[in-house]
Amino acid sequence: MKTLADLKKIREKAQEEMKLRGSNVRIKIVVGMGTSGIAMGAREVMKTFLEEISQRNLTDVLVTQTGEKGLSSMEPVVDVIEEGKEKITYGNMTPEKVKKVVVEHIVNGRIVSDYVVSTGS
Amino acid sequence: MQDISLHLLDIIENSVRAGAKCIRIRIINDAQENVLRFIIEDDGCGMDSETLAMAQDPFYTSKEDRIKKVGLGIPLFKQNAELCNGNFSITSEPCLGTVLKADFEKDNIDRLPLGNLKDTLLGAIIGHQDVDFYVNLISRDKGKEQSFHFDTEAIKVELGDIPLTYPDVIEYIEQSLIEGIQNTNMEDV
Repeated sequence: MKTLADLKKIREKAQEEMKLRGSNVRIKIVVGMGTSGIAMGAREVMKTFLEEISQRNLTDVLVTQTGEKGLSSMEPVVDVIEEGKEKITYGNMTPEKVKKVVVEHIVNGRIVSDYVVSTGS
Repeated sequence: MQDISLHLLDIIENSVRAGAKCIRIRIINDAQENVLRFIIEDDGCGMDSETLAMAQDPFYTSKEDRIKKVGLGIPLFKQNAELCNGNFSITSEPCLGTVLKADFEKDNIDRLPLGNLKDTLLGAIIGHQDVDFYVNLISRDKGKEQSFHFDTEAIKVELGDIPLTYPDVIEYIEQSLIEGIQNTNMEDV
């Protein structure tokens, strides 16, 4: 059984880490979770991002969900937002593509141009 | 939508867009009464009776910037409930919030499977850190009742300024949900 005591341990560990490297969010990922996105597999896309963050222990990445943005024909759609850089929008995402985006873009800073459907706001 | 938990995710997104700060989700799996019941309650902006009536129309959407005016979320959920001899209702009060109820006849051949409830809840909870979620799963069978309660408020208090996307926290929430779903027999419904 998971208990709140487990959370306390997690908090202590996380606070130690934050003392060492600060608590900045380096990169923000926004998964489009409108009706058409969901129907096209956005839940699995979200799930894969969470899995990758957990497995690779990425502590400076924030993942959120949002409604539709009018790119219905390219769902599931994902925005990657990094401070001081242009917003990158990836389209037609799948769990496999998510894994590649995490390795290439999120970890190594190289945009996966094959999956990009728009840049900037 | 391939399963009911995808509809649930869609409805949660509606609540978030309505500005909800607190979303209560109750799922009741009642073998005795042969019903699978969903109650989703939020404290968002609510709707007046006119908007509420339109929300069930597939050619209505609250999104004003759209060229194509369709909103299939609620109509599809309603259709899937009614297709298997179920019930669907929404009640709402402007400024107070919205309550959506959907009943599915459990053993009906046309009923969609519940699907991956864990992924729906995990994504919604972590994807909306500033919304509090209260999840109640209840199963009733042969006079026995099993229930699971999960609320993110207690977790956030314990975590302080540590975000829910912190890797160990994702794992914690995922494990808690898996346990709760197993204990209430909601895996293969």
